[in-house]
Amino acid sequence: MKSTAMAALRLLGGVILAGLVWEAVVVGFGIRPHLLPRLSDIFAAIALTPGAYWAGLQRTAAETLIGFAAGTAVGIINGLVFFRAPLLRDMLLPVFVVSQTIPVIAFGALVVMWFGNTLMAKAVIAFYLTFFPVTVNTLLGLNSVDPRQAALLRSFGATPRQILFRLQLPMALPQIFVALRLGASLSLVGAIVGEWFGDNTGIGVLLLQAMYNESVVALWAAILCAALLGTGFYALVAWAERRIVFWGAEQ
Amino acid sequence: MNRRHLLAATGAAAVTPFIRPAGAQNLVRATLRLKWLTQAQFAGFYVALQKGYYREAGIDLTINPGGPNLLTENLVASGADTFGLSGGTDSVFAARERNLPIVCAGVMHQQTPFVFVTRADGPIRTLADFRGKTITTWFTGANFVLLGMLAQAGLGRGDFTMQPQQVSVQPFVDRQVDVVTATRYNEFFTLMQRVGRDNLRSFVPDDHGITFPRDTVIVSEQTARDRPQMVTAFLRATIRGWRDALRDGKLGVDSVMSVAPTLNRPHQEFMMEEAGKLMVAGGAAQNGLFWIDRPVIQAAHDFFLRHEVIKTPLDLAAAYNSSFLEAIPLADRMA
Repeated sequence: MKSTAMAALRLLGGVILAGLVWEAVVVGFGIRPHLLPRLSDIFAAIALTPGAYWAGLQRTAAETLIGFAAGTAVGIINGLVFFRAPLLRDMLLPVFVVSQTIPVIAFGALVVMWFGNTLMAKAVIAFYLTFFPVTVNTLLGLNSVDPRQAALLRSFGATPRQILFRLQLPMALPQIFVALRLGASLSLVGAIVGEWFGDNTGIGVLLLQAMYNESVVALWAAILCAALLGTGFYALVAWAERRIVFWGAEQ
Repeated sequence: MNRRHLLAATGAAAVTPFIRPAGAQNLVRATLRLKWLTQAQFAGFYVALQKGYYREAGIDLTINPGGPNLLTENLVASGADTFGLSGGTDSVFAARERNLPIVCAGVMHQQTPFVFVTRADGPIRTLADFRGKTITTWFTGANFVLLGMLAQAGLGRGDFTMQPQQVSVQPFVDRQVDVVTATRYNEFFTLMQRVGRDNLRSFVPDDHGITFPRDTVIVSEQTARDRPQMVTAFLRATIRGWRDALRDGKLGVDSVMSVAPTLNRPHQEFMMEEAGKLMVAGGAAQNGLFWIDRPVIQAAHDFFLRHEVIKTPLDLAAAYNSSFLEAIPLADRMA
């Protein structure tokens, strides 16, 4: 426990140090503000309209989480189904691969026509980017289980369901979590790109407005919010991995 | 014919949610898709929404911002949005040429909203000086306006370098290009901030006989045919909102910034002022806001035809429908 607190303190120290270096470099070298503004100016911009950034953060987080959760659930179910039914896998997996080659920007315009400017539209894009890696990695994890171990359990009289939940799924978990960490970043990208198709609230909206108004300070403010959200979400998934896959975390 | 009509109407009712009445007061649900991100260029719509003018007109309106990846014509033609504020006469021509079933019901900016900007202390004093220079512009219509202007000065396509303009005006500020394109209400503000108003020289298309009215209100042909009263009600409420915003710019900017609070207020105030000038210019002075100035549109059409931007003449009477505006008394349409 104490070491966790120390690690958190060290992290905080590192962040503060990086912030100080940023401020010092910009002031010291006289970097023009439209290339890189002072960190303190960015914080001041956020402090001016904190409500907008907070609302954007919440909205984007909700879209990301819903898309990520749906993508995880569907991905794991897909993996299980494909593991059990290789014929289905051979039929559907290529279709999934093709679906992933559609650039998300092209897909976004369609989603707006289908779902309008709703939270769901963004969640669908986040889902679209998440479900595929989870599907593939679940299948990979399940296939990597030693069949002799399954045969041993079967010889003890274990039912297929017991073998799945006691052996195969737990053994696949490290592989699944690799996809979930990837999905954490991808679902955020999906939510932000989704917000570029006409909406009022969200980190993606703030990014777009800042970019097209050439307001560099606001652009950096939105980037910091996205970074905060991305890092926080990734840390959450990594923390869950350490708790759940306590036996075999690679790091 | 009749049955086909009925079938079409039934099919449309299934896919177009706005026909469904919403709420106890029999409000009709509708959406407006803007041509760009929320900003003071659209202040009147937000004023009308926040003051309840659309509700009073029987419309439960949702305003959907546009963006770089959206084409308003497509969204309105497909029924995803009821009303659209689309690019302008140029994008209406392009859509009609592709047989998209959209109709223009009003025109917001009576003059060409963009200008071509050089440095006041630079070598370019007249259009003839564009020879050999590097120009960035938008390849969505502005490029043809410039080509037309330069053709009048005797310059052909090979006499200068024309490049697509990216998001930022910074290359011009850094003197990497000689001429930059700017809307009077938006990029021009950024240029003023970075270069200074007195250091800029503008070439205005309208001064050279080329006027491109832009920011067009569009509806689908089906809406125009089946619900003309709703289109008129929408325009009436919109004009009420714009009259308020034009009279009280602060109200207009406040309405927009309540939706997009991170915007830069001085920039939005400048935009409100400049966009307002474009709205009351030209034919709007005698015929009121959103006036469809047919001779000007005909001239723009002929200009595009001459430069082969559109390949065949379009039926402008079908593409531009003034009847919705004309159903509103002139006194109520004046700014």
